[in-house]
Amino acid sequence: MDNEIPLPPPRRLRHRSSSRAGPSPAPSVAPSFHKSRRLSRFDDRSSQPSSDPALFSSDDIPASGLENYNAPVAGGPGRKRRYRGTWWGEQAVDPKRKRADFKEKRHVDSGVWMGSDESLAESSLPSEDGPAWGEDLLKSVLDPQGQGRFPLESSTLRAPTPVQAQSRPIPVFIKDGESEEHRIAKAIVNNCLEKGEDSIDLGNLNLKSIGPGLLAPLQHLTKLPSVTEPPTSENAYTSLQPFLRIFLPNNNLTNLGSELFELKDLKVLSVRSNKLTMLPANIRNLTSLQVLNIAVNELTSLPWELLGLLQGELKHFSIYPNPFPSIEETIVAVWRHGSSQEGEPSIDEVLKFNEYEGEPPSDAWTAIRVATGSVNRLDMDGRPVQPSSSHSANHAPSLRELSLRTLVKMPGLDQITEEELLDFPPLAVPLIAMAQKWHADGGWHCSVCHKEYVNPRSQWTEWWDCTPHENGMKRPRTSGEKLRPLPFSRFGCSWACVPDS
Amino acid sequence: MANNTTSDFVTLVSSDGFEFVISRSAACVSGTIRRMLDPASKFSEALTGRCNLETLSGVVLEKVCEYFLYNEKHKDQTNVPDMDVPPELCLELLMAADYLDT
Repeated sequence: MDNEIPLPPPRRLRHRSSSRAGPSPAPSVAPSFHKSRRLSRFDDRSSQPSSDPALFSSDDIPASGLENYNAPVAGGPGRKRRYRGTWWGEQAVDPKRKRADFKEKRHVDSGVWMGSDESLAESSLPSEDGPAWGEDLLKSVLDPQGQGRFPLESSTLRAPTPVQAQSRPIPVFIKDGESEEHRIAKAIVNNCLEKGEDSIDLGNLNLKSIGPGLLAPLQHLTKLPSVTEPPTSENAYTSLQPFLRIFLPNNNLTNLGSELFELKDLKVLSVRSNKLTMLPANIRNLTSLQVLNIAVNELTSLPWELLGLLQGELKHFSIYPNPFPSIEETIVAVWRHGSSQEGEPSIDEVLKFNEYEGEPPSDAWTAIRVATGSVNRLDMDGRPVQPSSSHSANHAPSLRELSLRTLVKMPGLDQITEEELLDFPPLAVPLIAMAQKWHADGGWHCSVCHKEYVNPRSQWTEWWDCTPHENGMKRPRTSGEKLRPLPFSRFGCSWACVPDS
Repeated sequence: MANNTTSDFVTLVSSDGFEFVISRSAACVSGTIRRMLDPASKFSEALTGRCNLETLSGVVLEKVCEYFLYNEKHKDQTNVPDMDVPPELCLELLMAADYLDT
């Protein structure tokens, strides 16, 4: 009895072929083991406890592995019994065991399914149609064209439904004509990512646009510790939170794309000396921006959403020079500042900050709304119209606007190529172009009711003075300082979304 | 038929023969239909109160009529919910909106 292996029989035995040549101790041991198993009180199957039964030293357990640990085995006296494998399928080491066993072991289900293992795929998948599913998957991987092209027929006007669009295999764009500047810029960004450098200098590269995929990886930038020798004090340790800075000065950028505005942790942005004519409204996403330099561009107005940043973290705001119109030369509908005085104030009085003594008042630090320009109402195509009495303020969007809002939300819109556009009706082409621009800007939102819109219906300019933020450190206005209001343009989604009078 | 010009309801007929009877004020959201039904114009549509919209199919015209009523309902409200436009119809509705000037 001492020779017996105390634990349950090795499972692998089941998979062994019966025609196995060569004697092995395992098959001969197994039957006698089963005999003793029936006698053992450990295996009372009718009432199996959840935990192991108590073990007493007085118990007569002939097959206790612990006690027989050093007991002699059949192989020879004085040799330790060695075990191999897991506790449930434990097996005494067979001295005659050969590596040839390995081949047979392969028939055992390892639990790992690989695409190349067809026979295993059939047995391991639980459901009935499992193998078919696997084959379908394999086919679709091998032959994506077999799934059918994007259904865009010229004969019908029907737009692709989302379901159809999803079944389209996503093509991988490989741009062979990537410009030299983009390649250099990408190398700089990659270098920064690798070194954990949080200051990205893309200046003087003659960039005309920010290519796709250039700035998006910076979201995952990890800063590396810069300590080279053991510091003498705790102050020598620096924060590993990246202080993300992007410098794009002296390029030929005409627009900034949408990727830049997805970097929510961006702290410093400089686009000095570029050819920007407008800033997109989604600059509001850069809520942790502290320094913004937009000097030496071709900006004639600023997005109204930028004011939200001025109320937040933004402290350094370099604006001049830019060809902003002067408030003295434009038509102003309502003066918001300095109107407390009697009569019609002169423009010099309006543009003068309150005189104060001692501590600067709280409004010396904030942006001040100076005036509101007249409202331009736009028709459904975005052309300015004269407001007539028949067109009352109506919050309900037009049918065109409703359809456009559905259109811009359709997937796959960005992947329509120029050739495919030729198949569309001529009316739809500019609308699709607009929808693509809408996507590139990250959507437009009404500045009054905050709803998404595609076609603005009203536009006006608000004049705000931001002198505390301009040029270097944030400082309060001095007493009686002349205000230099800047034009911020706002858009509304309907003729009812206009400034409150 | 002359009394139809003062009727509160008009009939819109699609290219495949579907007829939609809709209140005049709702239909006049569309600039094109408003001009068609203008009594001063002496168009046959104005006299009969029946507009044949040859460019619109029944499916599209149904959605257009739904929009007319949606616009009528939400005219004076703020915070208007968007009407549901099925994606497969939106290009056709864009063409219809262009034609109907709405």
